[in-house]
Amino acid sequence: MTGYLVSILTFVSLAVLIGFALNVQWGQAGMLNFGLAGFYAVGAYTAAILSKQGVGGFTATAAAIVATAAISAIVSLATLRLREDYLAITTLAFSESVRLVLMNETWLTGGTNGIRDIPRPLVRLIGGDYYEGFFLAMCLVLVAIVYLVLDRIIRSPFGRAMRAVREDDVVASTLGKNVLAVRVKAFAIGGAVIGLAGALHAYYFTYIDPGEFAGFITVYAFMTVIVGGKGSNRGLLVGACTVMVLLEGTRFVKDFVPLLSAQQASSLRLAMIGAGLILILIFRPEGLSQEYRLSIRKPLDPDPNT
Amino acid sequence: MQALLNGLVSGLLIALPAIALSLTYGILNFANFSIGAMVTTGAYLAYIANASFGAPIILAAPLAAIFLALIAIVIQRGVYHQIRNADHVTLLVASMGVAFVLENVIRFFYGADVRTLDVPVARPLIWNGLRLNHEQLVIVVVASSAMAVVAFLLKRTRLGRAMRAISDDPDLAEVRGIERARTVDWTWAISGALTALAGVMIALDGIIDPMIGMNYLVSVFAAAVIGGIGNPFGAVVGALIIGLVEETSALAVSTTYRQGISFVVLVLVLLARPQGLFGSVRIRR
Repeated sequence: MTGYLVSILTFVSLAVLIGFALNVQWGQAGMLNFGLAGFYAVGAYTAAILSKQGVGGFTATAAAIVATAAISAIVSLATLRLREDYLAITTLAFSESVRLVLMNETWLTGGTNGIRDIPRPLVRLIGGDYYEGFFLAMCLVLVAIVYLVLDRIIRSPFGRAMRAVREDDVVASTLGKNVLAVRVKAFAIGGAVIGLAGALHAYYFTYIDPGEFAGFITVYAFMTVIVGGKGSNRGLLVGACTVMVLLEGTRFVKDFVPLLSAQQASSLRLAMIGAGLILILIFRPEGLSQEYRLSIRKPLDPDPNT
Repeated sequence: MQALLNGLVSGLLIALPAIALSLTYGILNFANFSIGAMVTTGAYLAYIANASFGAPIILAAPLAAIFLALIAIVIQRGVYHQIRNADHVTLLVASMGVAFVLENVIRFFYGADVRTLDVPVARPLIWNGLRLNHEQLVIVVVASSAMAVVAFLLKRTRLGRAMRAISDDPDLAEVRGIERARTVDWTWAISGALTALAGVMIALDGIIDPMIGMNYLVSVFAAAVIGGIGNPFGAVVGALIIGLVEETSALAVSTTYRQGISFVVLVLVLLARPQGLFGSVRIRR
C-alpha cells in the first residue's frame, strides 16, 4: 500500500510539473501547445540516451532540460507571428514527427522496443530498497523549486509582459514589449520544465517506448490545467491531484464491471477523461481557482450600475 | 510519373477532410482538432454497415456519410454550441476532447485490431506503364464528385451564400436575417459527410484501425493551412500539393516519414507566407 501511494504521488508530481509548463505556455503567455507529448518525449529520450552512454544522471537531466527548451524555442519561432491555432497545429505536427523519429531511428531510440534499463541517478548510494521513497522526495523538492522559480517569473515584469502579450499582443508591442522575444522565452521556459519532467519520467520507469508519448499525455496536461484554473499554479496542485484520483479511481471500474476486457476498460477510462474535459469546459471553464493578480483587494467601491 | 499519379490521388483523398476543416474554420473560427477522429469514425461506420449488416460498399459509404453528418450535428449542439461564447482556444481544446472521446469509444467497441472492408479485389488498370488501382480510381471519382457538389453548394445555393456570408462577417450576416444556428448545423453536416467519405476511401485503400484518422491529421492540417485556412478551394490546392510532395519525397525519404514531410512543408509555408497560398492578409485593428 505504501508503495502504491508513493508511486501515485510520484505520478502526481510529474503531472504537476507538466501542468506548470503548460501553465506558463498557455496560462500565462496564451500559447497552445498540443504537442506536449512530443516535447516530453524529447526530454525523456535525451536523458535516457545520455544515461545509457554513461553520462551522470544530473548532467543528463540538465541536458534534457536544455535540449527541450531549445527545441521548444525553435518550434515556437515558426509560427509566432500568427494566431494561436497555427502554433497548436505546428506543435501537434511536431509531436507526431517526434513519434515517427522515435519509432524509426532504431539505432538511436531502439524503435518500438524502446529503451530499457535506464540507469537511475544515485541508485548505488541510496540502495534499491529506499529508492522509490528517495525518488519521490527528489520529485517533491523539484516541484517546490520549480514552483518557486515560476512564481518569481510570473510576478516579475516579464510575467506581466507575458500576460500583456496573451491579452493583446498589438497593445503589448505598442507599449514597447518585444512580443516575439516574450513568446519565445515563455515557450522555452515551459519547454525546460517539460524536459525536466521527461527526464524524471525516464528515470522513474527505467523503460521508455514511443507508445508512452502519445496524445493522451497532452490531454491529461490540459485537463490538469483546466481543472486547476488556467494560469494558477496553486490551483494546479489541486488539479493534478483531482485528475490523478480520477485516473486511478476509474482504474477500479474494471473490478466492478467484470465483463470488460482490460483493453475495453482502458478505452472507457480514456473516453471518460475526454468527456470530463469537455464537461469542465462547458460548466466550469474558469477551473477551481483563479490566476494570480497584482491586486488582491476587491474594488472598494463597486459600480452600482454593473 | 507513377509517383505523380499516386500523389494526385492521395491529394484528392486529403482534400475532402481539408475542405471540411476549412468550412468549419470559416464559419466557427476555430480549428477542429477532432477531424482525424472523425475520419476514423467514418471508416468504422462504413465497416459496421459493410461487415456487420452486409451492405455492399456502394451503400455503406453513403450510410457512413449520413450517420457521421448526424453525429457531427449532435457534437455541435452538445459541445461547441454550449461554449460558443468562449474564446476560440477553448473550442480548440474542446475539439481535442471530442477527438479523444470518439477515438476511445471506437477502441471500446472494436479494440485495436486491424480490420478490412469486404470488397472484391480487382486488377489494376495499366496504361502506358502507369498503374492505377481500382481503389485509386474510386478515390478520384468520389473525391472529384464530392468536391463538385460542395462547390455547387457554396456557389449556387442559399445555404452556400449564407455560409459565405457568415464566414465573412457573422454579425452582419445575422443582421441580414441569416439563421446562424441552422447554417452552422448544415456546415457540420457537410463537414461530417466529407470526412466520412475520406475515411471510407482510406479504409478501401488499406486497413481500418483506430489510428487511421490520426495518421492523416497532420497532412490534412498542412493542406488546409497551405491553402489559406478557411478557404475551401485553397484547401484543395493545398491538399494536391501535400499529396504530390508526400509521394514524390517517398522516392528519397522513407515512407514512414510521410507526416514528417507534411510538417516540414507546413513550417516552410508558414515562414514564407503565413496566410497560406490563397489566404488574404487579415488586417488586425
